[in-house]
Amino acid sequence: MGRMATDVGGTFTDLVHFDAETGDVVITKALTTPADPSGGVVDAIALSGLPPAEVSYFAHGGTTVINAITERKGVKTALVTTAGFRDVLEIGRGNRPDLYNLNFLSPVPFVPRSLRFEVAERVTAEGEVLQPLDRDDVARVAEALRQEGVEALAIMFLHSFAWPAHEAECAALLRELLPDLAITASHEVTREWREYERSNTAVLNASVQPIVERYFTRLEGRLAEIGLDCPLLAMQSNGGTTAFAQARAHPITLIESGPAGGVIGAAIVGRAVGEANVISLDIGGTTAKCSLIEEGAPKVTTEYHLERTRAFPGFPVKVPVIDIVEIGAGGGSIAWFAEGGRLRVGPVSAGADPGPACYGRGGSDPTVTDAMCLAGVLDPAQFAEGRLTLRPDLAAQAYAPLAERLGVDTAAAARAAVRIAEASMIDALKIVSVQRGYDPRDFVLVASGGGGPMHAARLGRELNVRETLIPLHPGVFSAWGMLATAPRLDLVRTRFMPAAETAQDAVAAIFAEMQDEARAYFAGLQGVDTAELAFATDLEMRYEGQEHSVRFATDLARDDRAAILEAFHAAHERAFTFRLDDTPVEFVHFHLTAEAQVLRPDLAPLDGAGLDAAAARIGQRPVDFGEDGVQDTAVFLRRLLPPGFEAAGPALVEEASSTTMVLPGQMLRVDEFGFLRIREAG
Amino acid sequence: MPTSATTARSDDSIAREIVANRLLAIADEMGIVLARASMSPVIYEVLDFACGLTDGEGRLVAQSNGITVFTGMFSDQVQFLRRKFAGRIRPGDVFIMNDPYEGGTHTADVCICKPVFAGGEVLAYAVAVAHWSEVGGKVLGSLSPDSKEIFEEGIRLPGLKLFDGGIRQDAVFETIAANVRLPRMSQGDLNAELAAVRIADERLSETCAKYGAGMVRATFAELLESSAALSRKAIGALPDGVYTAADVIDGDGLVDEPIPVQVKVTVRGEAMEIDFTGSAAQRAAPINCSRSGLGSAVRAVFKAFAGPQQPSNEGWFAPLTITVPDGTVFSAQKPAATGWYFESTAHAAELVWKALAPLAPERFSAGSYASLCGTYIAGHNEKTGDTYVHLEPQHGGWGAGQSADGTGGLIALMDGDTYNHSIELVEAKTPLRIRQYALDTEGGVGAGRQRGGFGLLREFEVTGDGSFLYASYGRSETPAWGQDGGADGGTNYIELIRGDDTRRITRTPTIPLQRGDRIRIHTGGGGGWGDPKTRMPEAVLSDVRNGYLTAAQARAAYGVEIRGNAIDLAATAALRGTA
Repeated sequence: MGRMATDVGGTFTDLVHFDAETGDVVITKALTTPADPSGGVVDAIALSGLPPAEVSYFAHGGTTVINAITERKGVKTALVTTAGFRDVLEIGRGNRPDLYNLNFLSPVPFVPRSLRFEVAERVTAEGEVLQPLDRDDVARVAEALRQEGVEALAIMFLHSFAWPAHEAECAALLRELLPDLAITASHEVTREWREYERSNTAVLNASVQPIVERYFTRLEGRLAEIGLDCPLLAMQSNGGTTAFAQARAHPITLIESGPAGGVIGAAIVGRAVGEANVISLDIGGTTAKCSLIEEGAPKVTTEYHLERTRAFPGFPVKVPVIDIVEIGAGGGSIAWFAEGGRLRVGPVSAGADPGPACYGRGGSDPTVTDAMCLAGVLDPAQFAEGRLTLRPDLAAQAYAPLAERLGVDTAAAARAAVRIAEASMIDALKIVSVQRGYDPRDFVLVASGGGGPMHAARLGRELNVRETLIPLHPGVFSAWGMLATAPRLDLVRTRFMPAAETAQDAVAAIFAEMQDEARAYFAGLQGVDTAELAFATDLEMRYEGQEHSVRFATDLARDDRAAILEAFHAAHERAFTFRLDDTPVEFVHFHLTAEAQVLRPDLAPLDGAGLDAAAARIGQRPVDFGEDGVQDTAVFLRRLLPPGFEAAGPALVEEASSTTMVLPGQMLRVDEFGFLRIREAG
Repeated sequence: MPTSATTARSDDSIAREIVANRLLAIADEMGIVLARASMSPVIYEVLDFACGLTDGEGRLVAQSNGITVFTGMFSDQVQFLRRKFAGRIRPGDVFIMNDPYEGGTHTADVCICKPVFAGGEVLAYAVAVAHWSEVGGKVLGSLSPDSKEIFEEGIRLPGLKLFDGGIRQDAVFETIAANVRLPRMSQGDLNAELAAVRIADERLSETCAKYGAGMVRATFAELLESSAALSRKAIGALPDGVYTAADVIDGDGLVDEPIPVQVKVTVRGEAMEIDFTGSAAQRAAPINCSRSGLGSAVRAVFKAFAGPQQPSNEGWFAPLTITVPDGTVFSAQKPAATGWYFESTAHAAELVWKALAPLAPERFSAGSYASLCGTYIAGHNEKTGDTYVHLEPQHGGWGAGQSADGTGGLIALMDGDTYNHSIELVEAKTPLRIRQYALDTEGGVGAGRQRGGFGLLREFEVTGDGSFLYASYGRSETPAWGQDGGADGGTNYIELIRGDDTRRITRTPTIPLQRGDRIRIHTGGGGGWGDPKTRMPEAVLSDVRNGYLTAAQARAAYGVEIRGNAIDLAATAALRGTA
């Protein structure tokens, strides 16, 4: 029986299949079919030649939700709020991060004012009912919604994160009155305070719900037609999966579903090689994404903001999302001169169409990929296994204007572009590591995506990580990661309790209540034993007077109050350089992660039979290594390299989706699983 | 073929580019650490602070996103410290200061500064300035709108060593703790600022280790030089000439009278002189600013003109001269109170803005609600048994641009990346309830081809005894100006409602509050841009549909007749005289 994962990207739908008995891996790519993405999924299965009836595990991720939101394709959505507060969604937080722009425009809310309604109800911060829910008001709103022809609705009442009764009552009433509407009450998607953030989350969830509903229904239908009949799991942004039924109710949890697969993949690679601390880096055509995994666990937070930049507030989404830092530097990123003559790379990308100049498809802007082509890292004849012949002449032509302006030759201009792109990648890698108090020397770097293997050796050296690792199938790594994910639920509760006055039992009771909720959540899921859920508990605490809190792992079976306090002080000192041992401490958030115990496939060792280092060495060519100069470099074909193979840099390792670069002064080794491992020599 | 020397030069320029980006990353990290470690809502929620780096001579080279009123202010402060401690600055030193007359703004903005050394010499200074909730003085929260001398505004720290060669100066810490009402909160803010400058020291030292101190210094020089060149170019593109603007400040809180202010901007080649001569004399009330406050405000609006999206540094301001005689409301002399300095600096900035708007319409908008509308509600918190200080700047309406409507509910120019307070947080932490938070559509906005953004309506109810209110709202009589035929916007004020009695308040010292009192805050809408009769009728219809405008207002202000859900084209043509 086989495990199958499919990942719907902007251009391609990736499929990875793993046969648990033979260890065989099958990979296919089909074109994404944006109008109805289920088409591309079924196409990929057909292309793979695998018998659908033998698939026993099916995980599905992709960009459907985030694309629907960023392209503003959500359905017509309304919002119902506590009387007096319908404009909160439009006012947002009123901040102006683009400080000196006197024509600053705030984010445009996803629900216009004409579709924002108010009903009489009011609960205090302490849960006291000042004004019961006015059911007549609700009925009036229902009538207005019917006339407006809205398809979805969010409900946001003040203090519902702690006191959800009114929201639940309103939702029940509206579901009765308007059975065809997709309705999201804010407390159903997040239980954290701050009214604007919660309403925006609820609104986005509601607006994509009918889209995901239709999409999943079609996908289920098509998969049933071709005879695939195992449980279907959706990849969530928290790095775990969930049943399609749950994902339909909370589609906003799928917002970073694709990238999350890659981070989980990196964690699996780390686990296989005995490295619990991993920095993952995924370099695609437009962006580079990095994330940090500590003790085998990716960081999951609810601080996600859609479309946020240094100059734009973006839209908060308070659901658990793996903490990923993304920057606009990838293979297709274009080098250009900013005002004042500064050379920049990205965030504008040549994308897949027309692509870099060297693709010969009409692109004329100089990209990072063109620079790699000029440096000799990419073999024009062997790119993508020979499916596309690169044109270094066009790459040189694209870099000529830059070279002229810099007063250097095109090779030097290309080197400059790569250096700048890599510097911003380094900055992103430092944000997830150094800036959060982690020393890269305690970590290995796992690089994936089409561009990851090309830059990994340099980035690893600059960051000073212990080792740099290129996994198998770096070009479909997100789908590969999804293969080994388990159903997972992340819950958060906000409760303010002074540590000095809080009994350990009270803390335990909160977690127990959340565990019950998790068991109920998983109860309907086929193949999951709710008695065997793995729970992890984190606390967020702070010094009295602070607003922001510090998160750390705890185990109530092990930690007494003193141990919890010490863990908090230490975490605070790591984050902020100081600790205040005499200042009172309070509890803020309680996090529970519940993961179902499912059979995970073991990584099979690479079978060395028929592999031959001599045959793998397919050539030699001069490669420009930037600060290490131009070096005559051995070229290897990855699929022929046997386990245990070692070579000294400089070297290049080519495969279908990528090329791995090993710098002079580094050692390359192929390990028992076939991962490429790069260390500094000596 | 290029020579190896030119290649080396190109490599150097790339390294400088990388170091320049790293400087910004360091400034950003300082800001993140400061906000997250702080204990004052005005810092962690409102982000009323700024962090940055200066070069060894005290010239700003990188600044975090924070608030504009601190633009370029670090330079004055660091230069003061360099003069005062000449020959006595050593590794491990950390300085503290808050003197408005030595580069500061008001006593509540406390500057922490740490020299960063490389090879035994000062390479740079890391600076954090943050608004503490409490620095002592005559009222809780420290900034009484009726203070007449700086001595009423809390402890004054004239540039002291907080750490001397790494040794903690307990006397300074103890003196501060003894002079503020909420020592733990102030200590927390101090710790957060210390964390920020320490992180900067670490990161900058790492950068030096990798690229060399020489490269870092070269980057500083290049940043300043290239920014100055861009700035000169921007000025050079303006026609030479003298441009003027005048305005009034609506009272000072002690005396209710218009306070005239004016500016004369002279553009000559690639230099700009901004002259406030002729503005009113300094006031007895604390709405004055010192020269350094004025410099910051003018720089903020100049930056908006010269290069809004580019990182700020001292170089931008090289071609700029600011002239003002001593003793005006923009150049107050010791010992004038400056607690509400941002009321006068907002006007200084708006004067320059108004003078330049016709010259560079793509960079400017019509007038905004302008005043930060600082609102203090403080006193006894029944929920905790403690003392509380709730400080809010208010968000309001911005003016229209030439090609877009103004933004509503946005923080004024003198702040920046400044959040409103979450209602759920306020209600959980204070004896206050918020009854409404909405766009103030009744207050209206300046009509225009592009209309202004809406001001806000925010109504508090006091749910306990023992609280009091003080506030200072500008633009309470003179509305935000319209541009190019656009109408004026609205005004800012508070209605204090007790039973059947409603009082209109703009600037007020402490008023005791009773349980059940309601504080209804109105901020003004922004000014319009262009003739309202040329606004797209579809945009007017959309505003009516969304309840921003009534059909009657559409007819009167825009000459658009809306019937049902549609535009009556014939009636509209008749109203607009285009039939």
